[in-house]
Formats: sequence, structure tokens, C-alpha cells
Amino acid sequence: MKLDPRTKMVMVICLSCLALIYSTPGRLLLVLAATIVLLLIFRFDPSTVWGYLKPFLSLMLMLFIIQCIFSPGGKVLLSIGPVPLITYNGLLVGSSIILRIIVVIAAALLLTTFSSRDFVLGLVQWKVPYELAFMVFIALRFLPVFREEMINVITAIQLRGIELKKVPWGQKLTIYRQLFFPLIYGMMQKAQQLAMAMENRGFRAYPQRTYLRRLNFILADYVVMLLSSAATLMLIFLQIT
Amino acid sequence: MTYLELRQVAFYYPRKMKPALTGINLKFEKEEITAITGPNGCGKTTLTKLMIGVLRATEGEIYLAGSPLTNYSLGEIGRRIGYVFQKPDLQLFCSTVAEEVGFGLNNRGYDPETVKEKIKFYLDYFELTGYQNAFPLNLSQGEKERLAIAAVLANEPEFLILDEPTIGLDAFRKKLLENYLKKIARLGRGMILISHDESFVNRLAERVVIMADGRIQGCNERKESACYEA
Repeated sequence: MKLDPRTKMVMVICLSCLALIYSTPGRLLLVLAATIVLLLIFRFDPSTVWGYLKPFLSLMLMLFIIQCIFSPGGKVLLSIGPVPLITYNGLLVGSSIILRIIVVIAAALLLTTFSSRDFVLGLVQWKVPYELAFMVFIALRFLPVFREEMINVITAIQLRGIELKKVPWGQKLTIYRQLFFPLIYGMMQKAQQLAMAMENRGFRAYPQRTYLRRLNFILADYVVMLLSSAATLMLIFLQIT
Repeated sequence: MTYLELRQVAFYYPRKMKPALTGINLKFEKEEITAITGPNGCGKTTLTKLMIGVLRATEGEIYLAGSPLTNYSLGEIGRRIGYVFQKPDLQLFCSTVAEEVGFGLNNRGYDPETVKEKIKFYLDYFELTGYQNAFPLNLSQGEKERLAIAAVLANEPEFLILDEPTIGLDAFRKKLLENYLKKIARLGRGMILISHDESFVNRLAERVVIMADGRIQGCNERKESACYEA
């Protein structure tokens, strides 16, 4: 299905809002199902979602454990003496948090079904200042670069003969703490170089920008945008009341 | 004795139909200096990344000291093989130049005095003493290259893989590096050089492997058993 990038952006906002407003696993599962259906409609292979979720697994597990322990209530499932450790309520809250993260990430993948150029163009045609739109685009572009940089550093450390898996936690933390500043500084240097390269190519040299292409809404875009916004507003209203 | 061996190795990058490497059969001895040359994009760097376990071969097997490479962790490979990346920025991650040289030794439990001595020696040798407190990423390209080489050599690995080590080095420093590599080769440490620098390769390498389009095109060898056909 060929829809305007802006329509997809609206759909992502709607799905993310629903993921934030719902707090029960059942409803969040429904939102997730809807997201997967949309990914299928836009010919995004849902099996690749796992690849995008993998880097967040440790964060999700940590949040799950924290929520399980610190959200008491309901039947006690596990306790240490008189202290309840895992409760029914804690499990529900923990799983809701995980589902929420999965929905937000899966919904954001809808944004990858069109080019970054269209993303900027879409924002600009929504009257978002070009500089701001370009900044969002660059931020999105830099996230994988940052991830890659982290992977490179970890590989380089191991290639210096250090078994990161076998290093005691205390030493591991010291190594990571040492790396933090150089990594951030390196990224800032890259950002500075990028800014220079952009200015060299005339970024913001003229107040008026022109575009070769224009994005145009078709009837399907209006219908999808209207339906998804109306449905989201209604569901939020029902949830609040 | 064969130290590193590749048997029928092929590699495909994800979502690519064409193999980056195919039918690679190579043997490297521990005391030998081999150069790998070929045009840009022919798979030289991919080949070395397979040899150090950063990438996994899609087909075929790689053996390090007689055992499959998959039996080793990245850390174990790193202790045996020193790898200098094509882009030195990728392997510099410490806050100062001195820390960078001593990082591996410090974290592998060497006593501080030995680490200090080694840092001093390598900084002197590669003329980096004046920059010992500088931030590595602020150095010039040539200085970064020298630092990356110094940091790898400080670990004293059994074997070295240097990907374009002469990029950014002036003639004098190229000569210094050449002398040092000759010196460590005399100590029985082998190495693989990836380089376009013909004169550097000719002065150092005992064997030159020529690659093109992901395949071995030929071997200019002095040792008969070193290179065999797919």
C-alpha cells in the first residue's frame, strides 16, 4: 500500500499514544497485533523486528525485574520469608512495560518503510522549519552510528586480548567508565565535522529552500489519517473515563 | 608450521547475492611475512576480519594453531593475533595516548612497572612521547596510525595483521615501521600486511597474495606449500 510518509507518521503517533495510555497486557497485546498487521500491510518483514528488539533485551529484562519487585499487590507468587518478592500485580506491570517498549519500537519501524529524504520533506511540508527537520533526520541517522561505534570499541577491546565476558564486574565497570568520555567526545567531534561539511556545502546559505519533489496526499491518506486519529482519540477517551 | 589456515572459505554480506569472498584456500606460517594486495573492494579487509573472528565465514573453515577459529573467543584471538584496523579511529578508545598503549597490558594484570616501561618504549619508538597525555582522536592521521600500531605491538602478540599500515606515514616513519616489523619477524612472529604500497610490500613480504573480485588470483611465493589452488 502506497501512502504518504506523513500518514505513516500519524499512524506511528497514534500507536505510540495507545501504547502509553494502556497499562494492561491484554490491551497492549491488541495494539501490538495492530502494529504487526500494519507492518505486514506495508511489506515490512515482521521477523526482522526481533533484530531491532535484541539490543533492548537487557534493558527490558531489567525493567521487568524492577517492576516485578517494586509493584506489589495481588497474590504473592514468590517471597523471601515475610517479604513478598514477586506478586501477581508486579508481573502484570512488568509485562505491560515490556509490551509497551515492543509496541513503540515496532511502530517506529513503520518510519523505515520510506526514505529519510521523504521524512524531512514530510516534516517541512507540515511547516516544521527545515533546520529542525534536518536535525531530527541527523539524530535518527546518528543513532545507528553511535551503536556501531560502541560495537567497534567493544570489538577493539577484545582484540587487545581482554575477555570481557570473564572480566569481573568491578573491572568491567571501570573499563566502561573509562570508555564513556572518549566515546562521547568522539561523537561530538564527528558532529562538529559534519556541521563543517554541511556549511561547506551551503547549508542555510540562503533563507529560501527549493525542492525538486513535493509530497501529495491522496484520498487514502485522508481516510487513513482521519480514521486512525479518530479511533485513537476515542480509545483514549474510553480509557480515561 | 601452519599457524593460520583457510579452507574453502566463502563469505556473503547480509542481503547480498554476490559473495564478498569465495573459494579462499590459504595457509600462513608463524614465521612468515605475507602481503595481500589487490584493487579496492576485492575483499582484502573482509578476509582479515574473518581471520580474527570479527566476521564468521559463511562457508568453509578457518583454523588457528590447528583448532577451528570458532573454538576461540575474540579475547583469545586478540591475545594471539594483533590486528591494526584500516581506520585507526576505530581502535582508539582511551582518554590519553599513554593509556591507549598500556590498555591491554593493564587489564591483563601485568605489573605496573612493566606496563610503564613498555609504554615508554613504544611511545619513544613511534615518536609519540610528546603526545602521551593527548586525546588519541585529536592526533593527526599519521600519528593515529602510529599509535594504533604501537598499542597493538605493546601486547606482543604471536602474529600480526596490519591493514594498510603505511597510510598516513611519511617516508621516515615508514622506514621505522619497516625496521620494527623486520625486527619482530626475526623473533619468529609472522604477519600479514594488506597494502597498496608496492615498495613497502616488496621490501618486507616473503610472499604476495594477489586478490581480485573476492578470489585469490595468484601467489607470488617463495615457499611452495604456502598457497594452494581451490
